[in-house]
Amino acid sequence: MSEGSYYSAEVRRLFAAPPRCGALPPGPGTPCRGEAEALDRGAWVRLEARLQDGIVADARFRAWGCPHLIAACALVTERLVGQPAPGAFRLDPAGLARELEVPTAKLGRLLVLEDALSGLAAGLAPAQ
Amino acid sequence: MGRPIYLDYAASSPVHPEVAAAMAACLGPDGLHANPSSGHAEGRRAAAAIEQARASVAALLGAGPESILFTSGATESDNLALLGACRAGRARGKHLVTSRVEHRAVTDACQQLEREGFAVSWLKPGPDGRIAPAQVASALRPDTLLVSVMHGNNETGVVNDVAAIGRLCSERGVLLHVDAAQSAGRVQIDAGGLNADLIAFTAHKLGGPKGIGALYLRPRPRPALQPLQFGGGQERGIRSGTLATHQIVGFGAACRIAAADLETEAMRVRSLRERLWGRLQAAGSAWRNGEGEPSLPGILNVGFAGIEGESLLLALDGLVCASSGSACHSAVAEPSYVLRALGLSDLGCQASLRLSLGRFTREEDVDEAASAILAAVERLRRIAPPGALERIR
Repeated sequence: MSEGSYYSAEVRRLFAAPPRCGALPPGPGTPCRGEAEALDRGAWVRLEARLQDGIVADARFRAWGCPHLIAACALVTERLVGQPAPGAFRLDPAGLARELEVPTAKLGRLLVLEDALSGLAAGLAPAQ
Repeated sequence: MGRPIYLDYAASSPVHPEVAAAMAACLGPDGLHANPSSGHAEGRRAAAAIEQARASVAALLGAGPESILFTSGATESDNLALLGACRAGRARGKHLVTSRVEHRAVTDACQQLEREGFAVSWLKPGPDGRIAPAQVASALRPDTLLVSVMHGNNETGVVNDVAAIGRLCSERGVLLHVDAAQSAGRVQIDAGGLNADLIAFTAHKLGGPKGIGALYLRPRPRPALQPLQFGGGQERGIRSGTLATHQIVGFGAACRIAAADLETEAMRVRSLRERLWGRLQAAGSAWRNGEGEPSLPGILNVGFAGIEGESLLLALDGLVCASSGSACHSAVAEPSYVLRALGLSDLGCQASLRLSLGRFTREEDVDEAASAILAAVERLRRIAPPGALERIR
């Protein structure tokens, strides 16, 4: 984290231009969606992914919340692509918090992201 | 990239160059380095500069120099007024009236008095954010010792009818304390006309330095104050501590500058504020917190549906300096208690932004800031899940 900054350089980068933000474009494969929210804790996440041959071919996110949450969503969504499901939909919130230098007080917001990922896996279940 | 546009004057204002020059002169080799309490020539020179500044500070409130005590800022002034007056007057009554939208320097001091056995009536503002004199009248009791109501609110900018409240208090022999940290130097204040016994204000909100403030005490009858600190007996024994000559000189200069064009500057800033609000409405689903007149000229508190305040502030980082409607560096973004008291939802508080303009704000700053804010709001709304615009407000 840079001196005097509340946000790490990585959070700033991801927040300034979050990759894979928006709605999932049409394409081949099986789409699935996971959504979780805890508005009173400042977090609302919607994840969408498309699977082809058991691999995440595309993924997108939408989020309402603080910069740490938006950056975390962007990073996680980007990493989904190319990964085999459903293993790709597991999250280590503590590890992600360390990587992005998310303040301990905000860990609860990453749990909302974890719930949205679980929702993706659940949405996928009937197709498996 | 140049420096961001500063729209956070309600938090602190830039030091006026003439103030900085006056302070630097105090600190230079030929400056006022002596202790102003010393009886020698250099001490007397420093004391004379302090008295000249005291007169300028007092004049900003239409008062005489004997009514001004120097403190370290508005927080100390508020604390000294409330704790000092209530502890000194506890034999006369142990009931206070204040509001839920006061600055924490007041609310926390009142809570301390509650712990000391005082009863406090906490008034809730009306939908317009103001405390009506009738509310104060209803809350007064035979044992009410003091009423504390702020002049202009630091978050919404609404101005209370303190003069009417002062008349009520005066008729009942109740002390009136007014936190004028936001209004002093920004709107005309006549201490006598307000019927206030105690008025707290500070230098750094009106173009002066941080670390220096003042407490106005009505000269006759002078309210009794129990000191909060002890030592050399400065400031008539009420506020001991060596007087900070350079800061006081800076405070005096800032008050002179503010007083010189107060009305025209207030009109100019008010017009810029309305221009800013006009521009920001282009965002759609935007609202204003604390509308109507009278108001402080420079404060605009605006909410944008679907927005989270901390993200909005970071999106504006390097472009616009402002404040959000929540204390965001916490586990749960703590919504502003002032905005909540207006009836705004917690999410609406989080979606709110305080923009405050001042002496060095120009038309082009307003237009540039509005463009940056509109772009940031649009970007964050694109990131948010569908439905955020309807649910986050």
